[in-house]
Amino acid sequence: MTTWTDYLLTDSPSSRRQARLGQMYRKWLAFRRNPLAMVGLCIIVALLLVAAFAPLIATADPLAQNLDRRLLPPSATNIFGTDSLGRDIFSRIVYGTRVTLVIVLLVVVSVGPIGLLIGATSGYLGGWVDRALMRMTDVFLAFPRLVLALAFVAALGPGLENAVIAIAITAWPPYARVARAETLIIRQQDYIAAIRLQGASQWRIVWKHVVPLCLPSLIVRTTLDMAGVILIAAGLGFLGLGAQPPIPEWGAMISAGREQIFDQWWVATFPGIAICIVALGFNLLGDGLRDVMDAR
Amino acid sequence: MTTEPAIRVENLNVSFGDSHVVKDLSFSVGSGESYGIVGESGSGKSTVLRVLSGLNRDWGGTVEIAGQTQPKIRDKAFYRAVQMVFQDPYGSLHPKKTVDDTLAEPLAIHGIGDAERRIGRAMSEVGLPASFRFRYPHQLSGGQRQRVAIARALVLEPSILLLDEPTSALDVSIQAEVLNLLQALRRERKLTYVLVSHDLAVVAHMCQRLLVMQFGRGVEEMTAQMLAARSPQTDYARQLLTASEGFRRD
Amino acid sequence: MNESIKEQPLLELDNLRVDFHTPTGIVHAVRGLSFTLGRERLGIVGESGSGKSMTGRAILDLIPPPGLVTADRMVFRGQDLLTMDRRERRKLRGRRISMVMQDPKFSLNPVRTVGDQIAEAYRVHHRASAREARERSLSMLEQVQIREPARVYELYPHEVSGGMGQRVMIAMMLIAEPDILIADEPTSALDVTVQLQILKILDDLVTQRGMGLIFISHDLHLVQSFCDRVIVMYGGKAMETLPAAELADESARARRHPYTLGLLGCLPDLDHPKAELATLTRDPAWLA
Repeated sequence: MTTWTDYLLTDSPSSRRQARLGQMYRKWLAFRRNPLAMVGLCIIVALLLVAAFAPLIATADPLAQNLDRRLLPPSATNIFGTDSLGRDIFSRIVYGTRVTLVIVLLVVVSVGPIGLLIGATSGYLGGWVDRALMRMTDVFLAFPRLVLALAFVAALGPGLENAVIAIAITAWPPYARVARAETLIIRQQDYIAAIRLQGASQWRIVWKHVVPLCLPSLIVRTTLDMAGVILIAAGLGFLGLGAQPPIPEWGAMISAGREQIFDQWWVATFPGIAICIVALGFNLLGDGLRDVMDAR
Repeated sequence: MTTEPAIRVENLNVSFGDSHVVKDLSFSVGSGESYGIVGESGSGKSTVLRVLSGLNRDWGGTVEIAGQTQPKIRDKAFYRAVQMVFQDPYGSLHPKKTVDDTLAEPLAIHGIGDAERRIGRAMSEVGLPASFRFRYPHQLSGGQRQRVAIARALVLEPSILLLDEPTSALDVSIQAEVLNLLQALRRERKLTYVLVSHDLAVVAHMCQRLLVMQFGRGVEEMTAQMLAARSPQTDYARQLLTASEGFRRD
Repeated sequence: MNESIKEQPLLELDNLRVDFHTPTGIVHAVRGLSFTLGRERLGIVGESGSGKSMTGRAILDLIPPPGLVTADRMVFRGQDLLTMDRRERRKLRGRRISMVMQDPKFSLNPVRTVGDQIAEAYRVHHRASAREARERSLSMLEQVQIREPARVYELYPHEVSGGMGQRVMIAMMLIAEPDILIADEPTSALDVTVQLQILKILDDLVTQRGMGLIFISHDLHLVQSFCDRVIVMYGGKAMETLPAAELADESARARRHPYTLGLLGCLPDLDHPKAELATLTRDPAWLA
């Protein structure tokens, strides 16, 4: 036990890998000291576990309709009650974690790198490249995100994939902005001048020296943004433009429950709580990450 | 003189927008010589170094290095001959790179193999223990960082080193160590130095000849002996010399 | 000079300690510093981490948490600073004891004109009309040798040069007519010629107004030529206190602390060129 913490925390690591691992371990130690961040991490880990083991956790088939058992209140058999088609809400929420995760992952995978690359390139090269790219982001930033996403979904047609594409298209500009702002500061630094003086190509400077420094704030921003992405996905679902029935998507579930909201409160309430908890989890995690990663 | 100068600058002019920061500056530095540029802030002394190093690409005049006229955009071979050490040891090292990364990068850029031996040699030459190789900058003191910056400059084995106030951010005891190191390296590697500083004593200690700059112009060129003998010819150089001797109550 | 030291001292410090309680242990920034300050220029020299800046901040009660200041005695003109409550202490700060820091850019509010800031500093401590405050500010700017006070009054901090900014800071600190000015590296960011002008202003204030000046610096030459007495600090302790004139005195070498000699030895010297500079060997026994 002590041997590997010694290995990680030594002041004179003897290999590249040891130095990197040590650095990460120190970050983890700092992160662990923040209880709220740990709560956030637990929520996200729980989300992952629920998604992975959904078939084991769910008490019923999320798609199985049973019109005899419509709109039953929470009970021992259906702990969150049933919806207007007699489906078990608990099971639908459990399977809904998969939908949420797919949306989140696809958005992260597409938005992060695009925003980072556009922002870093724009900031580092400056000149007309910068002006062209930034005016493009301005155009995207000029619309409220949900409205723009709506427009895209309307054009592409409703569905989960299109919802993800719409969210990704509307989500990258702020990332590019953040990356550009960071790059503008970074490129003034002597260590970038030093790398230029070693004859490095511009591509190499941006990719190997500027991007790694923009990364932490971008990871933090992405994490904090996840709550927003989940809400937009839910919003699109609620408007019927996201995941299509019968896929158990939380936003669509709330939407389906809105007609019964006064008489059968559980139909809309439980998916709402699920969205709330996951969004909160990402926010807490993001705050914790910011404290650890942005401290230079 | 049989050998051509390592650096020759002729009628150098640099402007940033409306401000003309270097005006008709000419000087030359012999091969193996250590040449100082002294001046106060705004004198244009650092700009001269940035032109020599190729960081500043907007200038007029002639810059020759080892007899070759330099274009505005330098090629890769140039960077193997000329390297630079910056003033602020806290700003000149990439915060996310270990000493090893920092020293390996120039070798990777120039496709030089043998990194292991070269990095080891550069580190031992600047007096950094091998155990520091995988440390990050934040695990090093100011003096150690400056040693890393010097090692980074040396790893490509250049013949000319441009030094931009290399010790002004350091404590005096650390300054002494770094200056001694730079002196020893110059002797061993027969390097040519151009040292920019605001500190006359440091320049006199390090350089054989020096140029005093004010408002972008070269005011006076003199030898270190002339400086030590307190015999500058121009008013400004005299004024600078008096000021550097500390406060005087009259 | 000698008479002035004999009268009641402005500040008496006995066994000042500044400790920082961090998760990884206690860091002792200042360990048992004692001195008295009269109407004089007292220099505190040392390298980074010597505790020289912390000393200045401790006197002003400006040590941020988790720092803890303790002392056996800390008396300002007969008033015990240790038993004084925070509010009174804060009133003292700025009014009676002021501080000038290294970089004026960080100490001035960027969105207000420098003149307004000086005038406000005056009105915080004195009951005065806006007009009177303005007039006092203009005359203060004149005192710190700003040529066109009326024009400079209307400038914003980013519009003034480093040297002028530092003068503005000094004017702001001095308008309350403090008894003690703590200057923490006030000229390190400035060119040598400007540096001397600022020192001249500080010097006049000590000689003409009888102010006590604590001059914190890393520059031995400057302290030696400017101050009356010098405290040499290392690792939070005073290695020695000596008359500034003795720093350069070759005949007094034998009496000097090895650290002081070491600091002097590693400076390049125009008059005594040497092939290699002496380096400093630190003795752990100094901190015992």
